[in-house]
Amino acid sequence: MGLLSDPSLSTHNKLVDNLAKHMRKLCYAFYTAGVVWFMCLALPEFNHGTYLSENALSPGLVYPEIRIDANRLAVQMLEELQRERKDHQATTPHAWILAKLNEFGLETHTHNYTLRYPFGGGKEFHGKNIYGILRAPRIGSTEGIVFSAPYRPPNSVHVDITPSVPVLLAFAEFARRKNYWAKDLIFLVTEQEQLGMQAWLEAYHDGDKEGDNSNSYLLAGNLPARAGSLQAALNIEVQDLEIDYIDVKIEGLNGKLPNLDMFNLVQRIMAREGVTSGYKQTPRKKRRSNFSTYEQNLRQMLAMLSTQSSGVPNGNHGLFHRYRIDALTISAAKRVTNSNVKSNPSSAAVPLLKAIEGIARSLNNLLERFHQSFFFYVIVHNDRYISIGDYMPALVALIACSFLKAYLTWSTLDVIERRPQQDGDVAEGYLGPAMQSMKLSLPYGVVLLYLALALFIGYVGNVLPLQKYFMELPLGAGPLTGSILVALNLIGLVLPFVVVLPAGGLELLHISLLLIYGCALIVIGLLNFSLGFFVAVLSVPMVVALNTGKMNRTLRGLTRLWTLLLNPLVVIYTIILIMSFYQFPELTFQQLLLRAASAAMDAVTFALIDSVIYGNWLYFAICTVFLPLWIICWTLALAKRSDNKISQTKLKAN
Amino acid sequence: MLYKCLLLLLAIIQISGAEHETSVLPEAYVDAAQRSTHTNNWAVLVDASRFWFNYRHVANVLSIYRSVKRLGIPDSQIILMIADDMACNARNPRPGQVYNNANQHINVYGDDVEVDYRGYEVTVENFVRLLTGRTQNGTARSKKLLSDAGSNVLIYLTGHGGDGFLKFQDSEEITSQELADGIQQMWEKKRYNELFFMVDTCQAASLYEKFTSPNVLAVASSLVGEDSLSHHVDPSIGVYMIDRYTYYALEFLEKVQPFSKRTIGEFLQVCPKRVCISTVGVRKDLYRRDPHKVPITDFFGAIRPTRVSTDRINVTLANEEDFVNEVAHVQPKKQFKIIIEPQFTAKILK
Repeated sequence: MGLLSDPSLSTHNKLVDNLAKHMRKLCYAFYTAGVVWFMCLALPEFNHGTYLSENALSPGLVYPEIRIDANRLAVQMLEELQRERKDHQATTPHAWILAKLNEFGLETHTHNYTLRYPFGGGKEFHGKNIYGILRAPRIGSTEGIVFSAPYRPPNSVHVDITPSVPVLLAFAEFARRKNYWAKDLIFLVTEQEQLGMQAWLEAYHDGDKEGDNSNSYLLAGNLPARAGSLQAALNIEVQDLEIDYIDVKIEGLNGKLPNLDMFNLVQRIMAREGVTSGYKQTPRKKRRSNFSTYEQNLRQMLAMLSTQSSGVPNGNHGLFHRYRIDALTISAAKRVTNSNVKSNPSSAAVPLLKAIEGIARSLNNLLERFHQSFFFYVIVHNDRYISIGDYMPALVALIACSFLKAYLTWSTLDVIERRPQQDGDVAEGYLGPAMQSMKLSLPYGVVLLYLALALFIGYVGNVLPLQKYFMELPLGAGPLTGSILVALNLIGLVLPFVVVLPAGGLELLHISLLLIYGCALIVIGLLNFSLGFFVAVLSVPMVVALNTGKMNRTLRGLTRLWTLLLNPLVVIYTIILIMSFYQFPELTFQQLLLRAASAAMDAVTFALIDSVIYGNWLYFAICTVFLPLWIICWTLALAKRSDNKISQTKLKAN
Repeated sequence: MLYKCLLLLLAIIQISGAEHETSVLPEAYVDAAQRSTHTNNWAVLVDASRFWFNYRHVANVLSIYRSVKRLGIPDSQIILMIADDMACNARNPRPGQVYNNANQHINVYGDDVEVDYRGYEVTVENFVRLLTGRTQNGTARSKKLLSDAGSNVLIYLTGHGGDGFLKFQDSEEITSQELADGIQQMWEKKRYNELFFMVDTCQAASLYEKFTSPNVLAVASSLVGEDSLSHHVDPSIGVYMIDRYTYYALEFLEKVQPFSKRTIGEFLQVCPKRVCISTVGVRKDLYRRDPHKVPITDFFGAIRPTRVSTDRINVTLANEEDFVNEVAHVQPKKQFKIIIEPQFTAKILK
């Protein structure tokens, strides 16, 4: 008989047994350690100062050559554009932008795209992007840098950023006259927020691919001209030519970030030009806060993580990350009229233009894509960061709980099972084989089926709203998706009452839940740390508290309540409720509840649309990972195990 | 008391130093040793690094090239290796030009620059083959170091170095041992009379540490563990223009004229730590002459003593007997004892 399968060798270890007795304490210790570690990261001893690792960038070695005439051009073009906007209330003045780019002597093209909106019977939207390519004068067009500005028509609900286009054009006009570009520069004006950018990027990278795209919702079309592999991109959002400060936005699709070098580069050059700039920069008044540095750092960290966790980019730059192009948005905020700060309007935008030139020249120096610095980091302060090696232990400590619990539960499974048995069986020698058979006789098949069922419910939530017959219903996308999700959640809620698992099934389900949960969170945490971390912080204590064995009545009740509260839909609703409470403080409680409900419906719809158009996997993760896990948790939380029931089954088994 | 101690110390130093003093040597030997014996000059100038942000290394090497050419070494005896083409880099706002100063006085990439090894030809293999004379068949004459036992060779290296190596092309390195072996082979193959080895890289002194071949004088821009720094930036081009050590070396060389009395000894002191920031390392133990008596043009120029004669000279083919007779009638030289200075001065510390 093999050593490993020898039944006379006890698989029990004293240490394991002792640990198992204190399992819950141990798990909570790990949990606390993880959270404390995360809190510590805000301390200056735990994070590091930023630095530039890429030599090629050589930021700030050149004197900016852009002069006041570029500013004059920007002011003049802004006036022209404002006149154009009067005739284009809901559209983009394409002709004007096209004419300007042509006037500067750039290779100008138009890109058309179509969105086939999947819901409400189907509608088609058309859009148009305009871009001009400045070919590198002395080198082949093998690499390119993108400078983009989103255009918003006057009827847009978002903040007015009309001056972005004149600033971009003024820079294009300046760049045209220089001979030192080693990469093609693309000046791109997009419309319809992120949709235009997504369509342009898709067309740039996949446009010439032959294939049937009848299934896709966004028909990106093809581009008439390209400029080689894109190395980096800078998105410019300017609210006014008179700038108060610059907010650097970095969070991209699915929580991806541009290389830290790129952020540092922007910070370095902005500082050189004397522009106040920073990550999540706020107006000067707000900046004068009385928080301690630690508190500020922690707030900054949490702010970054919460922006990242939704996976929705907070600017057009975020879509570039998908194609491994480092990009960020510099968002210039309007200066609120202040009597003592009076700047000369004829030179107001010069520092910004100089900064853009400096960034462009540094990017132009790149020899290969950004690769030297971090891609995974958390910004604590404008010049401090936490690297992945420092923040990952926090998440690992949280998730370790579930694996630890799984192992201890598995290795003490026999002990629990044995106890009722010991009364009947006196013969000690008989214990060994009995122990082994216990693990073998667990209802693996049934549990697997149950897991598959839970997964199926989640999967249905992912696919069902996208079926043809549903989409053709004359129903808004919000109510449709909302009702499907609510229905699925109700099924999940009822499922444990309908399905009764055979003996030992609950224990096995528990262990498999712990393992799946741990694996899923680690994977999600690696892809998007913020999402993984927040989910872990909320759910790990619940998962640790779950117990199939004997439990205090009140404790069981609490666990059930907690599990119920952690239902994905409930969590989404709660988050939106809190957000709308802060946004609309004037509403009564009832109105607030209603508004949050409709907002939650919209949120899930947007998440679904994001997933089909942009490739955001948040919706997928919630439906296919979190919902099934929750159903299993709910099953375990409801489980009531009376000892005599078990012993009855045991007797039958014997 | 302190004064006495100092005196005592001085006395000890004098006593211990006395045995190595050149005055022990017969004057005839000292004179003979100090006289230059070379018949021709060669220069091997290498820039081993590529990429636009290493513009300064190209400026370094081209500046030295300009100096040695001005002082008389012909292009046929200069091997210039440049790993990247800065002049025609797309990022260069002044196409076809390379400057070594932000004033942009001199375009060191003028009309008469002959680059012998360029771009990806600059490899460790090619460099070692060049030094040792083991070039592959069919190598152009301009790519060979055709020096002989009478050649004074200047080797100038610049690029990115580390402790014991110099990086070539961002892909390979030459180690100090390989370099020392190459120079030893040169000596054995009688490819040089004297060799002046000059390096401007980080931790440059590590490159000459392994040398064992005689008649080598080496100078390095920084000691092991030190970085060599650049001198200044040209903000209109956006790169560092030149390295500190080379900058000050050039400042010195610019004042040197073909018949100047400046010596190598002076040249070794061009960059004190105050201006260089790194410490310049010098290795003299393999070199038998006193650097302060060696004119700088022995390495940086091609000046040989010439005598202008207005007398009529009868040039006839010499007969063999004349040589035989001449050898027979040479008077035996006076015997003298030679004391070689120890390589390592550890004895003082004992």
